[in-house]
Amino acid sequence: MIWVWIALAPILGGLVYGGERVLRARMQRRQGPPLLQPFYDMFKLLDKRTLIIHAPHALLALAHFAVLWFSIAAIFLGWNLLYIIFLHLFAQILLILAGYSVRSPYSHIGSNRELLMVVAYEPILILVAVGFYLVSGSFEIAEIVKGENYLLQIPLLFAALLIIVPIKVKKSPFDVGEAHQEIVGGIEVEYSGVFYEFLYMSRFLEYIFIYSFVYLFGGESHWLGAVLVFGVFLLVNLVDNATARVRPAHMLKIIYTVAVSLAVVNLLGILL
Amino acid sequence: MDMVLVLVLLPIIAALLLGLFPYQRLQYIISGATLALLSIVAFSLYTSLSDFTFHLPHNLNILIIVADVVLLLFFLYQGRKFNNIKVMVLAVAQLLLYGYIESIAPVAGRAEIVVDELSKFMFLIINGVGGVIVLYAVKYMEGESASPFKKRLFVGALLVFLSVMNLIVCANSILLFFFLFEMTTLASYLLIAFRGDEISRENALKALWMNQIGGVVILVGALIAIIGFDTVMFDTLLESSGGVLMLSVALLSMAALVKGASLPFEGWLLGAMVAPTPVSAMLHSATMVKIAPYLILKLSPVLAATMVGGIISLIGALVFVAASYLALSRSVFKEILGYSTVALLGLMMALAAIGTQESIAIAMVLMLFHALSKALLFLSAGVLEKQYHCKNIEEMKGMVNRAPKTVGFILFGFVSLTLPPFGLFMGKLFAITSVASLLNEHPAYLIVLLALIIGSALLVLLYFKVASALLSSASDVVQSETMPISAGFNIPLVVLSFFIVAGAVGYIMMQQNIFVILLAFPMLFVFALPSIIHSMERYDRTLPYQCGEKGSFDSALVYYEPSIKIQRAMYWGFGILFVAVALVGAMS
Repeated sequence: MIWVWIALAPILGGLVYGGERVLRARMQRRQGPPLLQPFYDMFKLLDKRTLIIHAPHALLALAHFAVLWFSIAAIFLGWNLLYIIFLHLFAQILLILAGYSVRSPYSHIGSNRELLMVVAYEPILILVAVGFYLVSGSFEIAEIVKGENYLLQIPLLFAALLIIVPIKVKKSPFDVGEAHQEIVGGIEVEYSGVFYEFLYMSRFLEYIFIYSFVYLFGGESHWLGAVLVFGVFLLVNLVDNATARVRPAHMLKIIYTVAVSLAVVNLLGILL
Repeated sequence: MDMVLVLVLLPIIAALLLGLFPYQRLQYIISGATLALLSIVAFSLYTSLSDFTFHLPHNLNILIIVADVVLLLFFLYQGRKFNNIKVMVLAVAQLLLYGYIESIAPVAGRAEIVVDELSKFMFLIINGVGGVIVLYAVKYMEGESASPFKKRLFVGALLVFLSVMNLIVCANSILLFFFLFEMTTLASYLLIAFRGDEISRENALKALWMNQIGGVVILVGALIAIIGFDTVMFDTLLESSGGVLMLSVALLSMAALVKGASLPFEGWLLGAMVAPTPVSAMLHSATMVKIAPYLILKLSPVLAATMVGGIISLIGALVFVAASYLALSRSVFKEILGYSTVALLGLMMALAAIGTQESIAIAMVLMLFHALSKALLFLSAGVLEKQYHCKNIEEMKGMVNRAPKTVGFILFGFVSLTLPPFGLFMGKLFAITSVASLLNEHPAYLIVLLALIIGSALLVLLYFKVASALLSSASDVVQSETMPISAGFNIPLVVLSFFIVAGAVGYIMMQQNIFVILLAFPMLFVFALPSIIHSMERYDRTLPYQCGEKGSFDSALVYYEPSIKIQRAMYWGFGILFVAVALVGAMS
């Protein structure tokens, strides 16, 4: 059963992405695309002629997608949270290297920003993992989901996680990595056809990745987890509609001052 | 016993042979054979179980005393010659202290040489990595503008240095340790000054006086050990308790902080980057500076769960973050590597000073894999320097087109420092787990954990920032000229890469954890990708999107530098912490 879920993960992520576009359209009182629009897009992409810059650049996108999927599989299988975070880091690094490997200003700036984003959210994810460890006694997801009352014990870590969710789902105020209006999608701009499709699907997987962290705060109660995910989903989109993009350096400053302090205060609270 | 003797004497014999025979090919054969022999001996020692000890003959002890005095007088002379007050004052201080200590030192003691698990592990690092660097040095020196004799002297000096290192990691007598410590300082001094120009001289003197501080604190530590416990042996000292033990140990660990170029002493290691690349690789990254974590590891039975140990972990952890951050402001490739070495040495010392069984094991693993990866990076930097005349990362833009293979090695080095399943990454991963498991008992380690997490993230930023410069390449429809990398450079790099991979496989297998093995899966996948590169030919090529601009694209690199005020505060802070080690030692 679990393998079926793993196999369907990109589709699940695609539905979340489609749902998000519907939600944002409703928030802005537009009609918006249908729920299945991401999949229509994908079929359209398959018909397009694929142009590539050079072979390693294209293959790295494929590798990025594959490694990301692997890390999602690790989440479903209940592995060690730290391993999952670092597998995800690995996937991001592949994408960043891809962005750097072409002589394109947009791709380069996109990669620079993507790297800064990694540096921003990575410590928070690890601190959240450490928080789970201190409360539940294990880094394994399989053990963590057996616990309860995480929200009461590590509320500030949840807040810290909330701050970095927009980075991962590329939403304002932290959508610096693609920033369509300034750098036309950053790394994405150099991809087309089937290889862009891989990047498009990895975006779906990113949704699964970051919302699984939110879900973990529900512990053994699936209902609480689902409610949390839905709540965060609404909140992130609300914030996205209401705020403007910050500069990359500013983003780093916000994360390293506000989010890290929240996490540290919470950890100290557990320990003392 | 015999095998240890081989490790100490073989490099010296090889150095003599090199001096005798000026033939180029013979040099390769000698250094290659030395590498093979030394690594085999070191490896078989590592797998043998027994520890052993032995006394040095009395005559040899007297010889060492004489050599030590001569060495210190040489430092004094150098200080006089180049009119450097600091060097002179420190040399005089050491002479006086050393003379006094030798006059009151207890004659009888336990064995001067003790080969234990830690020593054997260090043999592995020193001979495996050091041997490869010597082999590389032969080729490197061909292109250097120096007389043939001086070139051979250089390679010979590296070999002699190997035997000094082999001896220092099994020295049980603090005075013998001091002598060899000063020998490494001497090696540093001479090899940094090798090119003989103004900057080299200045940086060499800086390295000299900073390391002399290390010598002075070792002597004071030894003096206290003699007064307090009537011993100059590490093992007797570590077995004793109470009294001035903590002060003595604190002073000895301060020497480690100096040798490890922890802030505020990082200046000497960065200055050392003007030396020829094999020196940077051997002394200032792979082997010599490893004395720092080694010494802390040796002292860790006493340091564990004490105030002194705590403050050293604190310094190490903060150095890890601060040095990673400072590295982001640099553009000379070797300086960047130097800063990241300082950072990782800080991390190793922090883990060693925590002193639980697990953290000690992790510190050792970090030491091994750091030596391998950094040697690979330094040697690749040397290739870029020799074959392409690039030292600065600003000049290395688009290097992947001109030197694809060397860039490949550098990227592999970066990946092996940051990503699963390579040894250094695994070390950091287990360090997080290990420190997290101690948090409930010692909440203060939260600082170490935080530093570990943030420092690692900063290092990722650092390495891949450099990668961005190397990688920016044109579309592959445009052919570019590449220069083949010569065999003399290629072989050492391949050997090191092989060691890294083999080490990673061995380390993963040792964990006996199926999940850890599965972590290697994505990397295998990525390494398999080039096999399908031919199938990419069916896709059409295009040029990157330039928004209609015709001009050529120059990618800008991002630098981050703390303001002067913050830098000054940082140095003062670390200076105060350094002194605090001794104060805390005196109080506890």
